[in-house]
Amino acid sequence: MPPVRSARNRKPPPDGFDDIEDTLLEFANKMKDAENASHEGKKRHEVMWPIFQISHQRSRYVYELYYEKEAISKQLYDWLLKNGYADASLIAKWKKQGYEKLCCLRCVQTKETNFNATCICRVPKAQLKEDQMIECVSCGCRGCSSSD
Amino acid sequence: MLKSTYKPAAAAPPLPAGWTEHTAPTGKFRPTFVFRRHLYYYNATSQQSTYTRPVETQPSSFSQRPSPGQHGYAGDFEHGAQPHPLQGFMTGNASGGHRAFQGGRNEYRRTEPVDRPKTKHLIPGCPQWLLVKTKLGRRFVYNPEKGESLWKFPLEVMKGVVEYDRLEREKKTRIERDGSNKDEDAEITAAAEELRSAEMEVPGASLPPPIASAPTNNEDDSDEYEEVEVTDDEDEGNLSKRKKTEEDLENQPVEFNEDDIAYQLVAMGQDYGLDPGEYGDDGGAELEEGAEGLTLTQEDSSALFKDMLNDYNVNPYTTWETLIEAGQIVEDGRYTVLPNMRSRKEVWGEWSRQRIQQLKEQREREFKKDPKIPYLAFLQKNATPKLYWPEFRRKYKKEPEMRDSKLQDKEREKMYRDYISRLKLPESTLKSDLAVLLKFLPIHVLNRSSSLENLPPAILSDIRYVSLKPSTRDPLIEAYVSELPPAPTNIDGSPEEYEVRLRQRQERERRERALTARQLRVEEEKRKQRGVLHHSKGLLREGEQELERAKTVGKEGLLGYIESDNAPESPTR
Repeated sequence: MPPVRSARNRKPPPDGFDDIEDTLLEFANKMKDAENASHEGKKRHEVMWPIFQISHQRSRYVYELYYEKEAISKQLYDWLLKNGYADASLIAKWKKQGYEKLCCLRCVQTKETNFNATCICRVPKAQLKEDQMIECVSCGCRGCSSSD
Repeated sequence: MLKSTYKPAAAAPPLPAGWTEHTAPTGKFRPTFVFRRHLYYYNATSQQSTYTRPVETQPSSFSQRPSPGQHGYAGDFEHGAQPHPLQGFMTGNASGGHRAFQGGRNEYRRTEPVDRPKTKHLIPGCPQWLLVKTKLGRRFVYNPEKGESLWKFPLEVMKGVVEYDRLEREKKTRIERDGSNKDEDAEITAAAEELRSAEMEVPGASLPPPIASAPTNNEDDSDEYEEVEVTDDEDEGNLSKRKKTEEDLENQPVEFNEDDIAYQLVAMGQDYGLDPGEYGDDGGAELEEGAEGLTLTQEDSSALFKDMLNDYNVNPYTTWETLIEAGQIVEDGRYTVLPNMRSRKEVWGEWSRQRIQQLKEQREREFKKDPKIPYLAFLQKNATPKLYWPEFRRKYKKEPEMRDSKLQDKEREKMYRDYISRLKLPESTLKSDLAVLLKFLPIHVLNRSSSLENLPPAILSDIRYVSLKPSTRDPLIEAYVSELPPAPTNIDGSPEEYEVRLRQRQERERRERALTARQLRVEEEKRKQRGVLHHSKGLLREGEQELERAKTVGKEGLLGYIESDNAPESPTR
């Protein structure tokens, strides 16, 4: 049996965690609220949207702190990824050209769709019809192509 | 945009019976100008005086103004009983300042537009005269020495002004050609500083308003201003526009135009004690365009936005969305200097990046403190034997000492338990423990020069130090410290050096010990050798003595040899 990690014997997080702790707590609170929110009057697939949105925001926050603002150390970044504060595979996509704003991994998973295509939110605004409002089924994204 | 304060007096109804019209002596007690001649009305029968023109019907409550006889307050009346926006701004605190200021200003603008001087310029060729431009784009000359100001330019000043205009046009074209010209700006701000100092020397004459050349009737006094405007081609072009605004002014709501923003910026800059140019908006060349409104460059606006972020002490680690949701900055006037959300976000990113770097550097420079020290101090203050550790933790879980991530919970618990158990010990034991702790500190850490305020961390982070009450502990430490020798001078400061030196000394001692051991060994060898030598010498001497003995012939003569020879003879054979 692996050793139980409780608050008592947990290693302290790497340096710099104190700075971002408050923001991460805010995200955690938002996530809790979203989890506990009522599903009354929502469509079946709409229920998960806020969850995806918050986890996307949080991943984006960590990604920007490390890659754009260079505010956190490598150790802290790895620790955050390991502890589930950000989605490593989503961040891996963001580093690739054409996927800079990707909303979620499901939206580029072509094999899960009927016509082997990506989600509607990956279509650039220029190629959509005028005033066509879209909200993708999987995560409620309103368009995440890089050219938007 | 040019505006005039001219009110068409022709529209005024005739005065009711008993009222007479008078001209108020304006501006004597005010540092700023008012360009309108103040008329007031006096009723001899009711001993009443008012600034508003009385009509047959009862005047509105707002229009009831105090008597102009009280000259000391004349300044306040001219603003329609509103306090001077700048004054209110100066006295108000810095945080609430701009908002209050904005509100005040807007209200004030709504009541009546008042002209005021905006920029001062040196006139080439006439060092004693200054060209002052007002907020509404009019110009007059001012002589700080004599305290004289004139709408009508004297002849010699006129030449200078024409020259000034030419220079101004040249500069404008140059700026358009190659962006902003920093040197020019600096020069102008320097000149402005000079003017300000000159103003200080003449306290009474701090820019009095130009004495209107005593026109007798209302109708032409405003038009006279236009007449004395320098015959400048751009002014000519504006004339018709100005005429139009005059008529519109009365019934139009006053919008918050670029002029106002510029004015506000300057005021804010003054409030923060900044020089123009320090807060991004350089007051020189751009303000001089005056009536046309000033243009903020891209850098200026982003710098302004950053200033705003700095002023609100925004946490650079938050997200942009939370910042906007908080709404604090959205209400600030500087929020709107950037045109759209995307540019704002960009500037925010840039700013937060810089700020985080700053914070990082600052933290590196700071002395790294042992996290144990505050925690132990906290324990000493709050821990009692009445609480078990879980209770204690629950009670104080919000305290920063209990939440410090540098210290593990396990360690915290251990220290708590140690501390509690030590509280139960008799005081004599605690004292002796403290004495032991003090005794084992090296002299460079604790010496006579160390005081109670800056004890070394080696002491502060020790449980033996905190387990005694300060009232008993401090005299003990003081007494001990006073007995110590002063700080060693050759060992200066850092313990690393001390370590190195210590190691060197140990090396040397070891070498010396080795040397003595070797010397001992050598000595031994020598002694042995001497012994051997001695021994062999003795042997030799013995042999010699034997020979000697053999040579000496006794009384027996040869007989002795013969007898002795008998015995060795037989083996030789």
